[in-house]
Amino acid sequence: MINFINPSKIFKWIEKLLNFINSIFFIILIVGLTFALIISPPDYLQGDSVRIMYVHVPSAWISLASFTCIALLSILTFLFKVKNLNLISKSIAPIGLLFTILAIVTGSLWGKPTWGTWWAWDARLTSMIVLLLFYIFFILSQKMIKNEDRANKISGLIAIIGIINIPIIKYSVDWWSTLHQPKSINLLSGSSSIHSSMLLPLSLMLLVLLLYCALIFLMKYKTEIIRIKRKNIKRL
Amino acid sequence: MLTKTVKKRISFLSLFLIISIISIFFILKSLTNNILYFKSPTDIKLIKEINLNKKIRIGGMVKKDSLYISNKEIKFVVTDFKNEILVTYRGAIPNLFSEEKGVVAEGKLKDKKFFIADRILAKHDEKYMPPELKDILK
Amino acid sequence: MIQNLIFMNGYGFFVWLSFAITLLACVIVYYKTYRTLQKYEKAFAKELKNLSAQERKKVLEKSKVAVQVFASYNKSI
Repeated sequence: MINFINPSKIFKWIEKLLNFINSIFFIILIVGLTFALIISPPDYLQGDSVRIMYVHVPSAWISLASFTCIALLSILTFLFKVKNLNLISKSIAPIGLLFTILAIVTGSLWGKPTWGTWWAWDARLTSMIVLLLFYIFFILSQKMIKNEDRANKISGLIAIIGIINIPIIKYSVDWWSTLHQPKSINLLSGSSSIHSSMLLPLSLMLLVLLLYCALIFLMKYKTEIIRIKRKNIKRL
Repeated sequence: MLTKTVKKRISFLSLFLIISIISIFFILKSLTNNILYFKSPTDIKLIKEINLNKKIRIGGMVKKDSLYISNKEIKFVVTDFKNEILVTYRGAIPNLFSEEKGVVAEGKLKDKKFFIADRILAKHDEKYMPPELKDILK
Repeated sequence: MIQNLIFMNGYGFFVWLSFAITLLACVIVYYKTYRTLQKYEKAFAKELKNLSAQERKKVLEKSKVAVQVFASYNKSI
């Protein structure tokens, strides 16, 4: 386990993985976009505006998943004091921030033609804003605090506090009356109220965005490893 | 692997998380009235003293065959299948607004059964399917 | 068909704008991340170059990361 996350060991795999993803990325992107924008049918109620779902829903999932990863890594760091985990959570944070913003912006663009408003302070939307704030605090604490050990401690604390917000976002549509519709996909029972002809473009777009996340993560992680190695160049 | 210090950290962390979850639970519980985006007709019925000057939101389904549109105003009945409220409104309506679909109306109560809206939002459900399929289901 | 694809029964503006924003934001973040990576690789390789021959040998022997960064840097010049 410890050997697995040893930066020197995985450094050469990062390069190979980056090349591999780069080679298949554009094919999957074009297939995904074709399905999302052309082949998939319009919705019976929302018409073509349902296509916004294909970017909005994966973005929202990724933003939640990234924060969960960061928080779990922070907990592991706190428990076992493994230093290299910080590099991973630091590399995930910008992805999470990007997709939180995208989920909010595309959600707003979806809300205007369907609900009739850009924004509503309902529980789901407000808790997403709180998630955005947690990401901003996390990244700012990494950037502003010069002492790296202290920066890691404070950002880890922010992530651990922020994890309480994740179930609130997830269940906000069940606990309170919201303008946002309830969840369509139930992972526990494996049921979905999205028709299969729309589920396919949704999963394709999710795959595209996940591959994109992997690209950004690997590049960012590589940067972090080089930064650490450079700092300790004399001690290598 | 679990040394004494690690065990100490685990118990500290779980204590910390449990305390924060409990306190957040109580905070949210006391704020429930503000977190609810809209009230259902049943909620309105249960309120003891209604404030006629306060802007509120009510929500539910637009009752079947209740929608009446004239060039001056729109009238419809909001229902949660237990209680109903009559809503009148002037202005633009969202595309998705129609009978037997979710709606949220913002405005003021005249009394417990009558609501004057100055904004209407459509609330759609979590089902997505192609139009042909909907016709088959009918 | 093409017209339908662009206008999408009046929803075209919202659909295309949300896809465009997503694409644009992703491209910008990709470019920035890529540039930062290049900057760090360059700085690291330069620092290795400035070391004395003996020190560099020692570093390259011990660190695989240093070997790779140094190799790709020399290739790119």
